[in-house]
Amino acid sequence: MSNTGPEPGSGSGSGSETGSGSGTGPGTGPTTKTTTGGETAVSLSNVRKTYHLGEPVHALDGVSLEIPRGSYTAIMGPSGSGKSTLMHLVGCLDTPTEGEITVGGQAVTELSGRERTELRGTEVGFVFQTFNLMPRLTALENVALPQLFQGIGAGERTDRARELLERVGLGDRGDHRPNELSGGQRQRVAVARALVNDPEIVLADEPTGNLDTETGEQILSLFEDLYASGHTIVMVTHEPHVAQRAERIVHLLDGEIERIEELEGVGPETGSGTATSDAAEMETETDAEPVGNGSTNEDDTGTGPDR
Amino acid sequence: MNPLESLRLAWRSIRGHKLRSALTMLGIVIGIAAVIAFVTLGASLQAGIIGDISPDDQRNLYGWAADEDTEGGPLAGAQPVFSQHDLDEVRDLEEVEAAYGYASIQTQAVSDGDEQVAQGDGLIAAGPSYIREGDLREGRQFEMGEREAVINPAAAEQFDDPVSVGDELTLTILGGQTTTIEVVGITDTSEGLSPFEGFEASPRIYVPTDPYYAEQAAGLGVGDGGGGDENEGGDGDGDTNDGARYLAIVVEAHSTDDADIDGARDAATAYLESDESDASELMGDGHTVTMQTSTELLQQLQDILDLLQNFIVGIAAISLLVGSIGIANIMLVSVTERTREIGIMKAVGAQNRDVLGLFLTESIVLGVVGAIFGTALGLAAGYLGAWYIDLPLVYPLEYVALAIAVGILVGVLAGLYPAWRAARTDPIDALRYE
Repeated sequence: MSNTGPEPGSGSGSGSETGSGSGTGPGTGPTTKTTTGGETAVSLSNVRKTYHLGEPVHALDGVSLEIPRGSYTAIMGPSGSGKSTLMHLVGCLDTPTEGEITVGGQAVTELSGRERTELRGTEVGFVFQTFNLMPRLTALENVALPQLFQGIGAGERTDRARELLERVGLGDRGDHRPNELSGGQRQRVAVARALVNDPEIVLADEPTGNLDTETGEQILSLFEDLYASGHTIVMVTHEPHVAQRAERIVHLLDGEIERIEELEGVGPETGSGTATSDAAEMETETDAEPVGNGSTNEDDTGTGPDR
Repeated sequence: MNPLESLRLAWRSIRGHKLRSALTMLGIVIGIAAVIAFVTLGASLQAGIIGDISPDDQRNLYGWAADEDTEGGPLAGAQPVFSQHDLDEVRDLEEVEAAYGYASIQTQAVSDGDEQVAQGDGLIAAGPSYIREGDLREGRQFEMGEREAVINPAAAEQFDDPVSVGDELTLTILGGQTTTIEVVGITDTSEGLSPFEGFEASPRIYVPTDPYYAEQAAGLGVGDGGGGDENEGGDGDGDTNDGARYLAIVVEAHSTDDADIDGARDAATAYLESDESDASELMGDGHTVTMQTSTELLQQLQDILDLLQNFIVGIAAISLLVGSIGIANIMLVSVTERTREIGIMKAVGAQNRDVLGLFLTESIVLGVVGAIFGTALGLAAGYLGAWYIDLPLVYPLEYVALAIAVGILVGVLAGLYPAWRAARTDPIDALRYE
C-alpha cells in the first residue's frame, strides 16, 4: 500500500476495498508487467475535469495515468468516482478542463472538434453496457457503420464487417437486426463494431452489466481473446470479478486515482474461479520499484496530485 | 460521408415510419397538386381559347361604346349607338377594309318544315365576312340584303333530319313575327366565331344584319316599318335604317399587321367619337368607343384567369407552408426520438456535418417525394378536368421541374433547424438519453 501511503485517507479506503475484493498482500516483489513493447496507447497527465453545477465540482481531480499499448486495464470505483468522465475523456468524447491527454500519439486537447471526432472514429472503439446498436440496421451494417463515417466504400466495409462478425462467432447472423439477436449476440456485434477501424484502444463500459453470468463470461473471454491478440482494452466496471480478469485495476475515488492494482496471470488460460484467487495472491502492488519502469507515471498519478 | 450513403440511410429511416412519413408529406402533396392541377387546367384552357382564334381573325377589331369606367369583357356596358350610316362611313375610311354591325337577335323557335325546335338566342346578325371562308365546312358566305343564313353544325343537328345547304328554315322571332332563311353554308365548328359570342359550343345561326336586324328593329316599333325589299342594296340610304342602332361594330383592317390594325382602330374610333357620327349624338359624357382584337379581348379573360390562378397558387403556398411546418415538426420529433442513435453515430466517429447531412437529406427526401406525388396527382386531376371540358391537353413541364425544386426547398427549409439541432447534440448526453 505504499502507493497510497502518502495519503492517509485514501490509504484506509483502499484497505477496506482490497479486503473485500482481492487481498492486497505485501507485494511479491517487482513484477514484470506484461506490457507489450512499452509504447503508450493513452496517457493522461494531471487531468482535471470540473463541472459548474452551482459550485465547481471536480469530476476528475488531477489524474495522471498511462495505458500501455496491448494492455488490459480495468477501472473501478463507486458511482461518482469519475469513472464515466475518465472514459469520456479517454474516448475523446470530452475534453479536460486542465491537463493533457494523448491518444494514439495525438494530444487531444490541441485538436479541433472535427479532428477529435476523427481521432475517436479511428483510434477508439466503444463497447457499451446497453450495446447501443442502431435498431434499424442489420448486424453487418452496424459493424460497418464506423467505416461509413470514414468514407470507406460499401464493398470494403461489408468485407471487413463480415470478417469481424466471423471473428466474434456471428458469421451467420449478419443479416439480423439487433432485436432479432440475444443480448450476448448484440454485445458481440458491438465488440466487432468497436474493432472495425482497428483502433488504438477498445473502451468498454460495463460490457457485462446487462448480461447474465454465463453470457457475460463469454463476452469476457472474447475480451481476453482480443487482449491476447494485442488489442489495448480499457474496461470500466463495478464488478470485482470482472475487473479481476484485467491486467491491472485502476481504483478511482472522488475523482482521484486511489491506487493501481497490478494483477498477474491474466488471459483465457488462467480461467476463472480459483484463478482469481491466484491472481489475487500474485497481485503486485506497484511499489517504489516499478517507478523505474514504464509505469512510473501511474505511480506518480496515484500519489502525485497534491491532494 | 457520401451523399448517396446519406440518401440510403435517410430513405430507410423514412420507410421505417411509413404512415408517419406519408402523413407528413400530405401537406406538400396537396399544395403541389393544387398548383399543378390548376396550372395544367389553365394552360389547357388558354390553349383551347387561343386555338379557336383563326389567324384571319387577327385583323378584326371588335368595337362597342360604353362608359369609360366600365370594366369587363366584350360588350360590357355597351349601348346601341351605331347607326347604319356610321357603319357605312367607317367602311369608307381609307384604313378600313370592311365594317359591319353585329347584333344578337332574340328568337323563339326555328323550324324545318314541320319540325320545330326552340331557340332562345343564337341568331347572330353580322356582315358576310364575319363568316370567314376558312370556317365553312360546306356552302358559301351569306350575302348582305338576302334572306340567307350560315348555320353551325350544332344548329344543323338539332333536327332529326339534319339541315343541309339549300334547305329553307322558318324563324320565329321574339314577338311572334316569322321570317324565312335559306341555308347557304355550314361552318366547321360549333364554337363561337368571335369574342362577342363567347367560345362555348352551342347552336348558332348567322344571318346578314340587313334585312334581319333592320326588320327586328322595325318590328319593335322603331323605324319606318318597311318591308325587307326596300333595304336591298344597303349602301347609301341610311335613312331607311335609321331606327336600327347597333350595339357592336366589327371593323376589318387591311392586314394583320399591327400598323394596319392600329391605323384602322384609330381612324374608326376617331370618326365614331367625332361630332360627325350618329353614334356621338347618343353617346353620353364619358362614353368612349372601345375597339379591340380577339387577342386583346382574350387578354382580359387571360387576366381574369391569371388572377384566379394566382389566388389558387396563394392558397397552395399556404398549404406548402403548413406542409413545411409539418415536416419541420416531425423532423424535430425524429431528432428527439433518435437522440441515442445520434449519440451512437457520434461515438463511432460521425462528424457533425454527417449527422446534419443525414437529417437534412431525410427532410429533403420527404419534400421531394411529396412533390413528386403532388405533381402526379395534380397532373392527373388537371388532365381529367381538361378532358372533361374537352380542352386540348397541355404539358406544363417547366412547372413539374418547379414543383420538384419547391419540394427540395421546402425540405431544406423545414429540415435545417432540426438537422442543426441533431448535429450539435452532445454525444455524452445523447448516449445517456433514455
